[in-house]
Amino acid sequence: MQEITPFHTAINDLAGLAAGIHKNSGKIIGYMCSYAPEELIYAAGFHPMRLFSSKSDISLAENHLQAYCCSLVRGVLEDSLAGRLGYLNGMVFPHTCDSIQRLSDIWRLNTNHGFFADVIMPAKLNTPSARAYMKDVLKKFQTDLETAIGHSIAPEDLKASICLFNRIRKHLARIYELKSKFPSIIREKDLFAIVKGAMVMDRKELADRLENIVQRLEQKDPSPSSAKRIILSGSICDMPDIYSLIEAAGGMVVADDLCTGNRWFEGQMDEGIDPLEALTARYADRAICPAKHSGNTLRGENLVRLAKDHKADGVIFAFLKFCDPHAFDFPYMKDFLDKAAIKSLHLELDDQQQGQGQLSTRLETFIHMI
Amino acid sequence: MIFAGIDIGSITAKAALIRDNKLVGTCVIPTGYNPVTAGQKVFSALLAQTQIRREDITAIVATGYGRNSVDFADKAMTEIICHGVGAHFLNPKIRGIIDVGGQDSKAIALDANGQVENFAMNDKCAAGTGRFLEVMAKALDVELDDLGTISLSSSAPSKISSICTVFAESEVISMIAGQQKREDIIAGIHESAAARVGGLATKIKLKGPVIMTGGVAKNRGMVKALENRLGITILVGDLPQENGAIGAAVLASRMTL
Repeated sequence: MQEITPFHTAINDLAGLAAGIHKNSGKIIGYMCSYAPEELIYAAGFHPMRLFSSKSDISLAENHLQAYCCSLVRGVLEDSLAGRLGYLNGMVFPHTCDSIQRLSDIWRLNTNHGFFADVIMPAKLNTPSARAYMKDVLKKFQTDLETAIGHSIAPEDLKASICLFNRIRKHLARIYELKSKFPSIIREKDLFAIVKGAMVMDRKELADRLENIVQRLEQKDPSPSSAKRIILSGSICDMPDIYSLIEAAGGMVVADDLCTGNRWFEGQMDEGIDPLEALTARYADRAICPAKHSGNTLRGENLVRLAKDHKADGVIFAFLKFCDPHAFDFPYMKDFLDKAAIKSLHLELDDQQQGQGQLSTRLETFIHMI
Repeated sequence: MIFAGIDIGSITAKAALIRDNKLVGTCVIPTGYNPVTAGQKVFSALLAQTQIRREDITAIVATGYGRNSVDFADKAMTEIICHGVGAHFLNPKIRGIIDVGGQDSKAIALDANGQVENFAMNDKCAAGTGRFLEVMAKALDVELDDLGTISLSSSAPSKISSICTVFAESEVISMIAGQQKREDIIAGIHESAAARVGGLATKIKLKGPVIMTGGVAKNRGMVKALENRLGITILVGDLPQENGAIGAAVLASRMTL
């Protein structure tokens, strides 16, 4: 599908994409976690850009982050120290996992990318005080951005930003819905490109492009698929190989519970209320990651529901190696699946991983087994 | 009808032929640098050995890490699936497999039909695998095949604390310098490897009867260390190394061409 080509182009040349944004006088603020309030960044006139590791060998970051930190934080720090993130005009760190929090300190002390902010969100989200606190934190971040740009963010700009991100999320959700209904409607590698592209491309252009893709997909008459229906669960999944290997092994991804997927785009913000209230509700009520808490059973129940709603044959946990929040939650999550008789496979991967032999052996066996 | 299975492992290439649901012959050669040639070689060697012509083979299934390099095979299946089928073919009562090959170790749970119910596999690191034992045999100046027998005479296995093959090797070298008994060091190496592999079996709550397959199953000391570790009896068939190739041949016989 030619509508997807710009997404592949964007993710294959992030520096080129950034240069294009700078050419149009845009300023780029980086983030690494789906709790970064993109709506505020955008309303302040910045371009929010999710950072992924360029997967280069780690050497400079070794002096700051030891081998027990995940390859994402090590990889992004390496990119910054090696001068590969010269296009950044700032960076924001939401308070989520320990490694990202520590990276925030290291970043502040050792890099020079202009704007810098921590967004110290509450860890426990299901209390009234957490909600009030969340609103204060978002307000503080708004003030930080306003100080940087030298003027306040107009309420209508924030509202417009919320509407734009609602549009983007609505289209992404629709693409996922179609993919679940007709798994062969879109190739795995294309879905990967769309989702990753959506986190880095110009958002206005993105919303239009996504709308075109939805229109095209809705016109398609997809052939039925006998592939096994897979759900991916984990943190970030920046490994196009996994999607291709799943497809090659006879599986298809029909839904996900990923930070770079459903957890990031699910749900709509209320456009009819005070924008900051709408943002607060969004970040307090969205599907949580294991670095947040919202009741003892929410994550497990959510995954089982996802598996049942999408008639999944199996769940693949794709974790970054040394991602401790996900690793701590894994036994509990697997228990939920076992009790619901849903088969699962646990993979721990390095962002810089090479060599697919053992990975494909596991995926092929699992997909054959379910 | 005759069916063939070819298993290209990281260290050895194996082939098996079955006719009328009975094993006709097997062959094992070193894989060497080129998995493509290894597949052709082991297959030709087995045909010569059994005096069966190529055109009499109805179907071929390839397995092992080099399964996709066997371009003359009709199908490629993972070695986890093939070991399950192979073990079930030789002994239908088997419900658990511990397979330790050159670079991989796996625990595989089977259902009553020999289908894989669950599995766990080592991740990148080769500690506890055949390659680990090869490195240790070299450091100890012992033939790989003799490791098992020597270790059985140990009464006080040495303690190897490193998991990493490279670190464990330097630990072993220090033990040699400290004049610890060779059999104790080897028994310690087996215990260390068994701890790694045993963890996979525990992870998937492996149930018996359990059989060990892969080249390392030929090492009696390693089997004993695993039995002690897991507190179970582990069976070893006559052809543990060829089990994956046998399973591949059985899968070939089930193919409808």
